[in-house]
Amino acid sequence: MPFQLVRSFTIASLTMFVLVAAVLTVLKAKEGEFFEEAQSQQIRFFNSVQENFARQQDQAALRDLLSIHESANVSLARLFANSLWERNFAPYVARAQSLDVDACRALPDNRSAAGKAGTPLERKACFSEIGRKLEAFKEFKELDARVFEAMRRSSVFKVKVFDLRGITIYSSEHGQMGEDKVSNAGWIGAALEGKASSELIHRDRFSAFEGVVENRDLISSYLPILAPGSEQIVAVFEVYADVTPFLAQMKNTSDTIKNAAAANQSKVEQVAEENAQAIGRNAKYLLASVVVMLALLFASLFAIVRRADRIIVQQAKDRERALQQSAQSEKMASLGQMVAGVTHQLNTPLAFSKNNVSMAMEILKSFELPLKVAGAFGKKVAEAEGDYLTIDLAEMRPQLAGVSEVDADVSLPMEMLGDTLNGLEQMRELVENLGAFTRLDRAMLASFNLNKGLHNVVYLSRSVAPASVTIVEDFGRLPMMECNPSQLNQVFLNLINNATQSISGTGTVTVRSRTDGGRIRVDIIDTGSGIPDAILPHIFETYYTTKAAGAGTGLGLAIAREIVQEHGGEIRLETTPGVGTSFSVFLPIAAHSSNNPV
Amino acid sequence: MEKKKGTILCVDDEPGILRSLQWLLQKEFDVLTASSGQQGLVLVQQNSFDVVISDQRMPGMTGSEFLREVRKLSPRALRILLTGYSDLQAILKSVNEGEVFRFINKPWSMSELPRIVGEAVAIAQAQSTSPMIEEVAATGELDSGRDTILVLDDGPAMPELLLQAIGSSRRILHARSLAAAVEFLSSENVSVIVADTRVANTDTTRLLKMLKQKHPQLVTVVFSSENDAADIIALINQGQIYRFVRKPVTVAVIKTVVAAALGKHKQIMDNPDLLKRHSVEMISADAETSLMLDVEHAAVRDHASGNQPRAGASFLKKATTGFTRLFRT
Repeated sequence: MPFQLVRSFTIASLTMFVLVAAVLTVLKAKEGEFFEEAQSQQIRFFNSVQENFARQQDQAALRDLLSIHESANVSLARLFANSLWERNFAPYVARAQSLDVDACRALPDNRSAAGKAGTPLERKACFSEIGRKLEAFKEFKELDARVFEAMRRSSVFKVKVFDLRGITIYSSEHGQMGEDKVSNAGWIGAALEGKASSELIHRDRFSAFEGVVENRDLISSYLPILAPGSEQIVAVFEVYADVTPFLAQMKNTSDTIKNAAAANQSKVEQVAEENAQAIGRNAKYLLASVVVMLALLFASLFAIVRRADRIIVQQAKDRERALQQSAQSEKMASLGQMVAGVTHQLNTPLAFSKNNVSMAMEILKSFELPLKVAGAFGKKVAEAEGDYLTIDLAEMRPQLAGVSEVDADVSLPMEMLGDTLNGLEQMRELVENLGAFTRLDRAMLASFNLNKGLHNVVYLSRSVAPASVTIVEDFGRLPMMECNPSQLNQVFLNLINNATQSISGTGTVTVRSRTDGGRIRVDIIDTGSGIPDAILPHIFETYYTTKAAGAGTGLGLAIAREIVQEHGGEIRLETTPGVGTSFSVFLPIAAHSSNNPV
Repeated sequence: MEKKKGTILCVDDEPGILRSLQWLLQKEFDVLTASSGQQGLVLVQQNSFDVVISDQRMPGMTGSEFLREVRKLSPRALRILLTGYSDLQAILKSVNEGEVFRFINKPWSMSELPRIVGEAVAIAQAQSTSPMIEEVAATGELDSGRDTILVLDDGPAMPELLLQAIGSSRRILHARSLAAAVEFLSSENVSVIVADTRVANTDTTRLLKMLKQKHPQLVTVVFSSENDAADIIALINQGQIYRFVRKPVTVAVIKTVVAAALGKHKQIMDNPDLLKRHSVEMISADAETSLMLDVEHAAVRDHASGNQPRAGASFLKKATTGFTRLFRT
C-alpha cells in the first residue's frame, strides 16, 4: 500500500492524542486515588488519635476512681481498726486463732473433679464449719452489729476480715465466713507485703448490707490492718465499695467525648468527600480542556497537512507532466538525429539514381531518330515488292546526318538504369527498416526474434553514426521472446547511439546477443572514452546529461532502464575510462515474469 | 575524340555514386575514381588533377580529412565536397583545413554540377603555370605588414582579444553595425575583416558575400556561435570565407587565424591570379536590395543611439554613398 500523508498523519496523531488523553486520565485518576488514600489515612489517624484520647481519658478516670476509692477504703479500714479493733476485733481475732484450720487444709485435693484448682467439697464444708464456729462466738454478735451500724447508708456494700492465716474470720455476708483466702493475690499482697490493692469488678447480683443489689460496679480493696500504734500487720480487710453511679457518670462523659469524636469524624469525612468531589470535578475540567485543546491542535495540523499534501500531490503531478514532456522531446530528439542520418542514407542512392535516370532519358532521346529511321526503313522493306528497294539518298542525307553520330550502345543506359534499380533497392531496404523501427503498434508481442529487432536498430544506427565507427553484429541463436519491440528498439537505439558517440575518431561498437542463465543478454560494447568515475553514479538519473544544453534531455538512459525494468529485466555496465564501456541488457524470455508464475 | 577540358578525381565509398559521376562528367573531363580516401591519395600522387570531388561520409578517412591531405599534396587542385547530411564539425574542418572551393549537396543538379566542375577546372588550369604559393605559413607568426583589420562585432570583447592576439602592429577598426562597417570599408583600405554572422540583431552574411563578390582581395574570417551547417555552406559557396571558428575563442586561436588571414591577403596581393580561386556564386539581386535596406536601418539605429562613428546630419546619405561606392562601381 503506498504511503498516504494525510491518512498516516491522521492515524499517527489521533493515536498519539488518544494515548496522551489516556495517560492524562490515568494520572489524574491515580492522583485522585492518592488524594483519597491520603485523606482516609488522615481520617484514620485522626480517628485513632481521638480514640486514643478517649481511651486514655477513660483509663485515667478509672485510675482516679480506683485510687480515690482505695484511699477511701483505706480510711474506712483505718476507721474500723481504730474504733473497733481494741474492743471488738482484737479479742475476736485472738479467739479465732484457736480454731484449727490445718485439718481442713490437709484434706486431699479432689483430683478426679473437673476443676483442678477447684476446692474439694469436703474442704469447703470443713471451712464452712469453721465459719459457723466463728459465728457462734459471743463477740461476733456485737461486732457484726457495730459493723452494720457503721456501714448503714454508706457506699460500702461489704466488709471482710482475714486473719494472717488467710481465713475469713468475718464477712458482712455471713455465708462467706470461714473461707480460705490463703492463695488470693490481694490477701497475699496485703498480709505479707503490707500493700493495699484495689480492683474494679462488676456483679450482676451482690449481697449488700441492705439486702441483695443487682447489676453493680464495685471496687474491692484488700487492706492490711496494723495494730494501733505499731507497724505490725494483724489482719487484712476487704472492703467492697459501690462505684456504679461514678462509673455511670464516667460512662456519660466518655459517651459525650465519643459523640464529639464521632461528630468530628463525620465532619472530617464530609470535608474529605467534598474535597474529593472538588478534585474530581477539577480533573474532569482539566481533562475536558486538554481534550478540546488537542482536538483544536489536531484540526489545525490536519488542515496544514492536508494543504501540504495537496501541494505535494500537485507538485508530483507537475513533475510527472514535465517528465512526460521531456520524455517526448527526448524521443523527438533521437528521432531528429535518426531522421538526419536516414536523410543522408537516402540521399546517396537518390543522388545517383536521379542522375542516372536523367542521363538515361537523354540517351534514350538520342535513340529517337535512329529508331525512327530504322522503323521507316523496316516499313519500306515490308512494303517493297521483290528483293530490291530504291532510296533517294540525296533527299535523305540531311535528315540522316545525325544518325551516324549516335552511339547506339544500349548497354550504357541499361547500366544506368540497373544502378538506379540498385539505388531503389537500397532505398526500399532503408524504408523497410525505418518502418519496422517506428511501427506504431505498442502491443506486447508473444514471440519476437530479438535479433531481428537488433539488426533493424543496428542498420539505422549505422546511418546515424560517423562513418569512422564500425558497428559489428555478433548475434547468437535466441529463443523467441515476449516483449514490446518498439520499446526495446528505443532502448537499443539509445545504447548504440551512446556507444558511437563515445568514440572520437575510429572505433568499434559490438552488438552481441546470446542466452545467459535462462535470460537473453544483449551486450553493447564500445571502444570509446569510457565513463569517468564522477559521472558513473548519475548516468541513470533523470535529467542528468553531459551533453551541451539543448543537445540532450538527460532522459535517454533513465527511460531505457525503465523500459527494461518493465520487461522484468535489468541493465548493467562495466566501464574503463580510456578503454571503453560495455552495457549489458538482461531480459527474461517471458517478459513480466512476475505476472506469469512458472 | 576531342581533347577533354581537364582531369578530375571523384572519391566516394558508394560505387553507384562513382559510376553516376563518371557517366555525367566523362564527356567533358577525364574522370578517375577511387572508393576511399587512401586510394584517392595514391591517385593524387600519381596524377595532376585540376579538381578533386569527395564525399564527406566515408569509412576510414572522412572527406574533409582527405581534402586536407589533397591540399598539401596538390595545392593547385580545387576541392569540392559532396555532402548528404551536414555534420557541423565536418563542415568546419573542410572550411578551415580543406579550404574547399564549393560544397555540393546530394542529390546534385545534373546541369549545375558539370558547370561548377568546369568553372573549377578553368581556374585550376589558369594557374597551372603560376608559382605554387598556395600554402600560407601556418606558423602563426606575424610578418611586418601595415594592414588594416576591421572587426565587425557588437560586443567589446572581440577587438580586445584581437589586440591581445596581434598587438598594436596593425590598425584595428571596430564596427558595431552594418552601417559603420560599410562606412569603414568605403573609406579605408581594409585587408582582413573579422566578423560575426549577426551584429546588432542583423544578419551580416549578405555583406560578407557581396564583399567577396566585389572585393575578392578582402580576406574574411568569421567568429560566430552560428551552428547551422547550411548557413556555413552558403558562406563558403557565396562568400568564400577563409576561416570559420565557433565562439567562444581563445587569444591563441585568434592569433593563428588572423595571422593566416593576413598571410593569405598578402599572397593574393602579390599574385592577383589567385583571386580566381576564390570566385563566388553571385548572390541574387533581392539579397543585394535587402542588404541595402539593412544598412540603412542600421544607420538610422546608430544615429538614434549616437553610435555612428562620425557625427553629421546626412548620416543616411553617407551610408548610401558608402554602399554605392563599395558595391556599384
